[in-house]
Amino acid sequence: MSDTLRVVLIVASVLCLLFTLRKISQSKVRIDDAIFWIVGAFGLVIISIFPQISSWCCDLLGIQAPVNFLFLFMIFILLVKLFYMTIRVSQLESKVKELSQRYALDHMDQDEVKKDEE
Amino acid sequence: MKLLIIVPAYNERENIERVIDHLIQDYPQYSYVVVNDGSKDDTAQICRRKGYNLIDLPVNLGLAGGFQAGMQYAEKHGFDYAIQYDADGQHRAEYIEKLLTECEKGQDIVIGSRFAEKKKPLSLRMLGSRLISGAIRLTTFRKIKDPTSGMRIYNRRMIGLFAHHTNLSPEPDSVAYMIKSGAKVSEVQVEMDERTAGVSYFNAPKAMFYMLRMVVSILFIQVFRSPIRLKDISPENEE
Repeated sequence: MSDTLRVVLIVASVLCLLFTLRKISQSKVRIDDAIFWIVGAFGLVIISIFPQISSWCCDLLGIQAPVNFLFLFMIFILLVKLFYMTIRVSQLESKVKELSQRYALDHMDQDEVKKDEE
Repeated sequence: MKLLIIVPAYNERENIERVIDHLIQDYPQYSYVVVNDGSKDDTAQICRRKGYNLIDLPVNLGLAGGFQAGMQYAEKHGFDYAIQYDADGQHRAEYIEKLLTECEKGQDIVIGSRFAEKKKPLSLRMLGSRLISGAIRLTTFRKIKDPTSGMRIYNRRMIGLFAHHTNLSPEPDSVAYMIKSGAKVSEVQVEMDERTAGVSYFNAPKAMFYMLRMVVSILFIQVFRSPIRLKDISPENEE
């Protein structure tokens, strides 16, 4: 990994951390969801400071350049995250569906009660 | 002084009747509300049949969301204090008064602590508790001996905050944040029972993630979060 890349990674991670903290302060994101980005940014900082970690993993997997390992690893993490996000979105959609159905049916009951009273 | 006991319940069909009947019979001076957090079993039906005071959430929101619904109820009905009380029978009702008395002395949050006077056992289960205690001590300089205890009482100004804030939940990191913001937090010694029926949904991976979340949140996020502005304590609370 070149020194320039390492510096860029560190700067980008710190910016990512600051951005996440700002969004938490503004109550735009829940802490539970922000943890991923904070831990991820810390991880990148550590890999940038200690490129040996990356080299060691490269030797293990037979990858030639440490930076390639970094790309592979990040793509993998992002895919896993994407998969979990897909599950989250599905669950959210069914919750919204359930809520609107329940809301509509409850209101129908109320309307019927009103009609009966009249 | 009006106290509301908030009882969040998720799949507690085996415990809910025993716990709530005990509250109604032996502690009629307190109000309570059960928050059914979209249980998959018949917790809600049992509550309806028995005529319990019930907030029935149509979908599962998790403990934080359920508890928040209880706090909104407390705010709406003008309660002075609200206490979180587990539906699984781990919390003992005889200590509610002790927590309330301490809170009336002008505390914002009082934690029902298993280790305020007693020593914390050296077990793997308590390792997490120690880590969180350490993190809180490092960032707030306060010693909270039982940060993961679910039995906490909140006063009126805390109810107002916890009822609406996105990132305030009944968890140790919120306690740390409130200490940082200048809220008064203390602990009183209580006993707790082991869960007698039903299963805890806290398994090993969940516990690991919970620990990671708490430690990162307390050591990093809460340190950089700007303190929340607390309302002055109204004169009626200072009596």
